[in-house]
Amino acid sequence: MPPELTKETEYYQCGTEPSTANKTGEWRFLTPEKGRKLSPCRQSCLLEGEIPLWLEAVKKDKWKEAWQIMSLYNPFPALTGHVCFHPCIENCNRGQLDQEIDIQAIERAIGEWRLANYERLVKLKEAKGRIAIVGSGPAGLSCAYYLNEAGYAVTVYERSKLIGGMLALGIPDYRLPRKVLQKELALLQEEGIKFVAGCTIGKDLKLTELYDQYLQVFVATGAWFSRKSAIPGEESRGVWNALDFLSMINSGQVPAATDPVVVIGGGNAAVDSARSALRMNGVNNVTLIYRRSKVEMPADPQEVEAAEREGVELIFNALPRKIEKKGEVIRAVLLDHCKTSLEGLTVDCSRAFRKNCGTVIMAIGQEADLSVFGNMEKPTTLFAGGDLISGPATVPEAIRSGRLAAAGIRAKIEGLPETEPVSAEENPVLFSELNLKSKINLELQQRQADPSAEAGRCLGCGSCTSCGICYIFCPDLAVDQIDGRYQLNPDYCKGCGICVKECPSQALIMKGGR
Amino acid sequence: MKIDELNRESEMIYSGHNACPGCGAALAVRYLTRALGTNLAVVLTASCWSIIAGMPPFTALKCPVLHCPFPSAGSVGSGLKRGLNAKGLQDTTVIVLAGDGGTFDIGLQSLSGAAQRNEDYIFVCYDNEAYMNTGMQSSSATPYGALTNTAPYPLFKEGQKKDIMQIMAAHGIPYAATATVAFPEDMEEKLKKAKEISGFRFIHILSPCPPGWGTESSDTIHLSRLAVATGFFPLYEVRNGVNWKMTVPTDEKRIPLNDYLSGQRRFKKMDEPRRQILQKEIDRDWESLMKRVNNSK
Repeated sequence: MPPELTKETEYYQCGTEPSTANKTGEWRFLTPEKGRKLSPCRQSCLLEGEIPLWLEAVKKDKWKEAWQIMSLYNPFPALTGHVCFHPCIENCNRGQLDQEIDIQAIERAIGEWRLANYERLVKLKEAKGRIAIVGSGPAGLSCAYYLNEAGYAVTVYERSKLIGGMLALGIPDYRLPRKVLQKELALLQEEGIKFVAGCTIGKDLKLTELYDQYLQVFVATGAWFSRKSAIPGEESRGVWNALDFLSMINSGQVPAATDPVVVIGGGNAAVDSARSALRMNGVNNVTLIYRRSKVEMPADPQEVEAAEREGVELIFNALPRKIEKKGEVIRAVLLDHCKTSLEGLTVDCSRAFRKNCGTVIMAIGQEADLSVFGNMEKPTTLFAGGDLISGPATVPEAIRSGRLAAAGIRAKIEGLPETEPVSAEENPVLFSELNLKSKINLELQQRQADPSAEAGRCLGCGSCTSCGICYIFCPDLAVDQIDGRYQLNPDYCKGCGICVKECPSQALIMKGGR
Repeated sequence: MKIDELNRESEMIYSGHNACPGCGAALAVRYLTRALGTNLAVVLTASCWSIIAGMPPFTALKCPVLHCPFPSAGSVGSGLKRGLNAKGLQDTTVIVLAGDGGTFDIGLQSLSGAAQRNEDYIFVCYDNEAYMNTGMQSSSATPYGALTNTAPYPLFKEGQKKDIMQIMAAHGIPYAATATVAFPEDMEEKLKKAKEISGFRFIHILSPCPPGWGTESSDTIHLSRLAVATGFFPLYEVRNGVNWKMTVPTDEKRIPLNDYLSGQRRFKKMDEPRRQILQKEIDRDWESLMKRVNNSK
């Protein structure tokens, strides 16, 4: 059909319809889509938290959104912002460029925002049922939070007069300010969670009685039973076990300690005890003795470093043989050199040495105290978590265990399918896989004090940061921007794959088919 | 360029155009029309874009398009601009879009004429280094050693790529610049500069062609970036034919040309001596460009 000659314009006018009628999406045999690649921080997170997502929200100053994402995995960012060891920071890809993102500071900032901008959850008029939780440590609190959120009436039983379990009694004030914990607990009470302090299950109340009164019970009593060492003199006065020592300090009492203090053990309880002892009046010399080398210490390296900085003396490869006394008073610890190898521990008894001391703190391990169960006969279903199950572990691990228990309890009561936890064994996005060349305005930058600016440094490994590179480099204009998010337009995408290749965060994958 | 402000409406081309997946030319025209604004008239000579722009009644460009014969791009552009001026439409920016065939070979005489007369429009050559639309025949923009359908294996393209930028600079035109699709900001900035200048302006754009070069369609941007990093296609501008200035600095220690060649099927069978020759050619051109840039400082 020849084009018409129009009189008005006096030239051949053709091509007046937009080519958008031509749906070039039909050419495609590969389709880009948002991938599910793990970032190193997400992969190493003990809570399985979607760190890149809440960093992205903080970057845009959307604090409420950040809290909402955070609370899916971790209801207590104010607490973990202080006590978590943040393996995420260690593994951050940005570390290979300039400096790791300070995820801890941002997590803490979200926690502070939450404490300041708390809003009570909107709940059903009638609770779905009553749940009892035994133990008010991080596992119990997290389970209580999630069950309360789901509409259950939750009562938490605590043996001690102080609520918080290990958070209140085990972790020293300098690592977790008590004000933060109290604020967090106040919010939980505000939510309607009941706390019964000073009630030992297994003694004051039987576990079976709880089963009679409540729909379901979650037991998270922790690992509070200190292991014994069988060293002569261990039972003398002036020898503490680390948990008792820490609990006394943290509940405001002053345990008797005479300078110099020796701490035996290499875990976090040992380092906490050493650093707490150093803060006591009249204590100037604290020595930590561990039977293996420094790199083998199970304690968090940052904590060990801090202890060293504060002046705690560290002795490695030494095993206590005997605690020496003069009358009833401790004078010294007799130590042997020892070596650890694959075969085990070899002790060299020929070169014993003395370390003078007035107080000994034993921190050689904790175990679960099973007395809570009494001589209970087969419960139908038993939910338990935290250190009680895992043995001494960390606060984030306990919070995760509480979260999973809450999901399990809901699944049991409501008949929901149990959600499978995402496998953390998947390989994370490597630094070398990131296409940083296509990142616009990427500058080397050290840590920023402002949380939003700091979150802006996140490279967003494996997740979309809405940078718009896919939009910029699409030859077919097949990427639409909707409210600041980018979306593929399947009508026009020809499947060239430029967006997948150029995405600086490697957030896209190519999928076969249309 | 603020990415948040860009959307389908602010672009000057439509989706649904007929370019191959991963087309560098489609991207190049998308960037340059966006930079030039809405008051625009495009002259299209025979090239890939004659097809990409669509069959009547469809059009992929949001501005008037005038198709013209192969050798006449330069003169049709001159005529259109003068015609618009005569009608009182001086504000309309006229751009001529030509491929490397329509610029380096067939269109060279009318291009040279228009440049010599200093006609007031922007001539854009999007260079995919062969006659890709008609079936990958060699042009004088095809680099030494590449395989094309007129130089199939065991033949190789002979002779070096024509230095069109020096030819255009020799005309003493007010503005000439190179650009490529991996650097959209650079390209838009150059087009905006060019828009402000009157007289003949020439933009040479390297636009990778996945089917013609034998590359993955997803490699377009990557290759374009490598072409700059190897010194194969330096990004610079020339004012009045004498003032040479680099716009995207390339490291003095350029990466080896092999990195750029190895991803492309057209260079796959190129033997080592030929690679050496091409590398030397690039090195020599780079040095002479650096001399010109340094002399202009």
